[in-house]
Amino acid sequence: MRKILFIIRKEFLQLRRDPRMLPILFISPIIQLLILGYAANLDVREIPTIVCDLERTMASRDFLSKFFNSGYFVLKRNVSSVRDVDSYLEEGSASLAFIIPRRFGNKMAADKATSFQVIVDGSDSQSAIIGLNYATMIVARYSRNILLEKFERFKFLGLKIPQVNAEVRFWFNPALRTRNFMIPGVLAMVLMVMTMMLTSMGIVKEKELGTMEQLIVTPVKPYELILGKLLPFVFIGLVDVILVLPVATFWFGVPVKGSVPLLFGLSLVFMMTTLGLGVFISTISRNQLQAMMTAVFFVIPQIILSGFIFPIENMPRIIQYITYIIPLKYFFVIIRGLFLKGVGISVLWDEAVVLFVFGVTILGMSVLRFQKRLG
Amino acid sequence: MDSIEVKNLTKKFGKFTAVDNVNFQVKEGEIFGFLGANGAGKSTTIRMLCALLTPSSGTALVGGYDIRIQPEEVKKHIGYMSQKFSLYEDLTVEENITFFGGVYGLTRTAIKKRMPWVLEMANLRGREQSLARELAAGWKQRLALGCAILHEPKIIFLDEPTGGVDPVSRRNFWELINYLSEKGVTVFVTTHYLDEAEYCNNIRLIHAGRLVGEGTPQELKKKYITNPILEVECEKVVEALEILQKERWVLETSIFGTRLHASVEDEENGRVQIKKVLSERNISVKRIERIVPSLEDVFIHQIEKQPEESARQ
Amino acid sequence: MARDRHTLILMLIIPAFLLIMYGYALNFDVKHISLAVYDEDRSSTSRDFVGNFYRTEYFDLKLYLGSISEIDDLMDRGEVKAALVIPKGFSENLKAGKKASIQVLLDGSNSSSAHTAAGYVSAVVQNYSAKILTKTLMKRGLAPLQLPVDYRPRIWYNPELRSAKFLIPGLIAFILMVILVVSTAFAIVRERERGTMEQILVSPLKPFELVAGKTIPYIFISLISAHLVLLVGQLLFGVSIKGSYPWLLVVMFLFLTGGLGLGLLISTFARTQQVAFMMAIITTLLPTFILSGFIFPIRNMPVIIQVITYFFPAKYFLVALRNIILKGGGLSSFWDQILFLIGFGVLSISLATLRMKKIKEQGIQ
Repeated sequence: MRKILFIIRKEFLQLRRDPRMLPILFISPIIQLLILGYAANLDVREIPTIVCDLERTMASRDFLSKFFNSGYFVLKRNVSSVRDVDSYLEEGSASLAFIIPRRFGNKMAADKATSFQVIVDGSDSQSAIIGLNYATMIVARYSRNILLEKFERFKFLGLKIPQVNAEVRFWFNPALRTRNFMIPGVLAMVLMVMTMMLTSMGIVKEKELGTMEQLIVTPVKPYELILGKLLPFVFIGLVDVILVLPVATFWFGVPVKGSVPLLFGLSLVFMMTTLGLGVFISTISRNQLQAMMTAVFFVIPQIILSGFIFPIENMPRIIQYITYIIPLKYFFVIIRGLFLKGVGISVLWDEAVVLFVFGVTILGMSVLRFQKRLG
Repeated sequence: MDSIEVKNLTKKFGKFTAVDNVNFQVKEGEIFGFLGANGAGKSTTIRMLCALLTPSSGTALVGGYDIRIQPEEVKKHIGYMSQKFSLYEDLTVEENITFFGGVYGLTRTAIKKRMPWVLEMANLRGREQSLARELAAGWKQRLALGCAILHEPKIIFLDEPTGGVDPVSRRNFWELINYLSEKGVTVFVTTHYLDEAEYCNNIRLIHAGRLVGEGTPQELKKKYITNPILEVECEKVVEALEILQKERWVLETSIFGTRLHASVEDEENGRVQIKKVLSERNISVKRIERIVPSLEDVFIHQIEKQPEESARQ
Repeated sequence: MARDRHTLILMLIIPAFLLIMYGYALNFDVKHISLAVYDEDRSSTSRDFVGNFYRTEYFDLKLYLGSISEIDDLMDRGEVKAALVIPKGFSENLKAGKKASIQVLLDGSNSSSAHTAAGYVSAVVQNYSAKILTKTLMKRGLAPLQLPVDYRPRIWYNPELRSAKFLIPGLIAFILMVILVVSTAFAIVRERERGTMEQILVSPLKPFELVAGKTIPYIFISLISAHLVLLVGQLLFGVSIKGSYPWLLVVMFLFLTGGLGLGLLISTFARTQQVAFMMAIITTLLPTFILSGFIFPIRNMPVIIQVITYFFPAKYFLVALRNIILKGGGLSSFWDQILFLIGFGVLSISLATLRMKKIKEQGIQ
């Protein structure tokens, strides 16, 4: 047991000796959260749009104003011919083009259907979809209002007009601030990347430098070595959480609705998995370059498949199954639950258990894999 | 009681046999030298004895513990200094000592007691706070040795401990080894500096994984070298070597820096013949002298007797 | 480096492999929103109304609730993301030609999904309203009214709006950047750490030659990797290069050079591989993912952050890539990106060379 303390002390001394390590360990998470927290934003607003209004009447201008007053679209340019639309979309200076044909207004007045063309730059399919959704919504509302106006005429016929009115309320994030959703996510990601990367080099480094040989000839046991290498980073990880939490809460204004001690506790459990993975990578790699590659290989899928941006429900079945072994996925649920929903351990129990089991397993595997032999 | 007993120890890496059926015993308190060229199998042997490598076949008892069955017991009772004197470059002298002491199971008080002794022995008094990285090779070596014996093991293994160290430091280091041996510590050393082998009590020569010579330094010289060796100082040494090699009455030749060693059947005859043959080719001979064979002569003699390296694979 | 076969294989295979995984997994569509329904009305009308929701692919009916209080717990656990509450009197109101109100509760955690879900709700409700309107009119013998605006969206470059096509250029950039920078950061530091640096510094190599010697193999491997990715993109996702392939090579080469310079620059600052790795990861992994416009539109970021994005070459690379691959644009549409890429490449490599020179002169510290 005592040996672990000696190893921990050595690790801390070594970390402290390298002057570049300290800012990396403690300052970079804060900076990362700041920059990425601002950048991670899925709201699509003010989509630059080109308009080709071939009619140019009050009716068409009124119609167009519905779009540009909504805040979703911003008028980039008015072009006079349809052909000009091409180059703007190609260049990417506009993502959408509205084309209003001639006789738009006339047709509408005559109770005939008019056509309205929207061209979308599908290469940016995310904005495209959202832009289309907005446009559809606006067109539908416009159409409905026109219809209702027309019905006013029928009212005096004694006709009743049934309608369904939906009142939509948003839970957990009534103002629908993307930030509330993203910041906890970014926090979790930063934590994962930092802890996993740091430990993945730990053991391999000594292998490469030759000090490992000197270590394994001593009576130190594998679990003592692994724990000794790991515990310093648990400490550092927790310090990082302490440092970034105020940034999230006070700077970004995303408070923790749930229990803060619980947040620390569950972060700890999560770190068991990331640090465990890092150590495991270290035991299976022959040199630091390899360890790094493997770590990157493990991290990128976690970021993308964890449900941070891309909803897991929409992934193909097979991939959904894969996501079950991604620790980050469970931690996202936990961290969002704690920040946004204010739920307690009773709700998050399942996720916590999964993470705990995962952590213990991967650590166990590392201990087993680590042999006090050179060959 | 034998400190170390090696029985039919073999290590193969795929098709390559690094250590081939090696047998020997080391007595308590002996300074045991394991000599050979690079790649002969020295490091592999020492690593097996330290339970760092698993033998392919055969086994050994170190301090009474079997390296195959009780590797961790072996490790508890030995000290090991690797070829690269693995210290933590970014830790100070004091921190290195503290760390290794702790990892060997010493309490803080025990380490505190041991520390002055190690510092004294390594001549590092006053340099406790220097980073290991900043030390010259001679000091690093002594520090590494110190870290290896903090737990006062009875047997220590030193793998090429004097590599890259100046001659004065080397001699000092061997004085240290002697000191330890006098206190009853068994020292198992590998080296390719044959002059250092003179300091050992007992020697094994290893070449291509096999033992090719054994005995005390004196025994080795007597046993293997039966023919007189003449040392020839002349110009154009390489040319002279080639000339002499062709002569039937010259048994073995080798170059030692700017001099030739020639093994001949008869001393007097040899002297005369050499002078004659070389002056025929206009090579003037400055001096011919019979010398006491060195271990290097023994080693080369033994090596030449061995079948080719390729027989190993 | 060639001896390190495992690493080599990893570098080549990882990008293509990741592409396969992500191409299938990733899309932005919000569908199959789990829905809970509390129907107090329990009439055929209300049931028909609810059906309008789950018959689309947007909503999946999870369960009918017995009481309204159950919603809390379900939402908390995330078991449902939407809840529909239909009060008593729903069908009566409709029959009487009045307004019938319902309540929809949406999980607002992910605001963009929430927005989209709200859009779907609105669409379903309006469609339903239009339907009953038409029915009412037809009952009275009046002709069904057409929707005044016939709305036809056309989608260019990616007609089926397959997210894969959008993501592939981004993935190429992301993966290449990370692997490239991280491994080149190692290039120099490895020697430093192992102590073989002295030998190299003592050699008569000029700093530039040193840099070039270390970087060329990595550029080569990354290019091969990028092509593997493109190949996979073509075979599995039908993403073919619409534009000019030579320009694509130029753009890739410029991007790789810039990334290389960055990697080398990092390696001159780090003394140990551990530090080099962390620096490389911090400057490439999350920034390329989040700041390059790969997923999050740069347009909507605060101005300061937008300025910061200019320092990450992935951004320019992405625009140029999307242009060439998906839009088939000519040089005129991406020449400015090329300029930026050149700028970044020159900057990073010259900084790296300067640092190398300094190290050579001062010796390693």
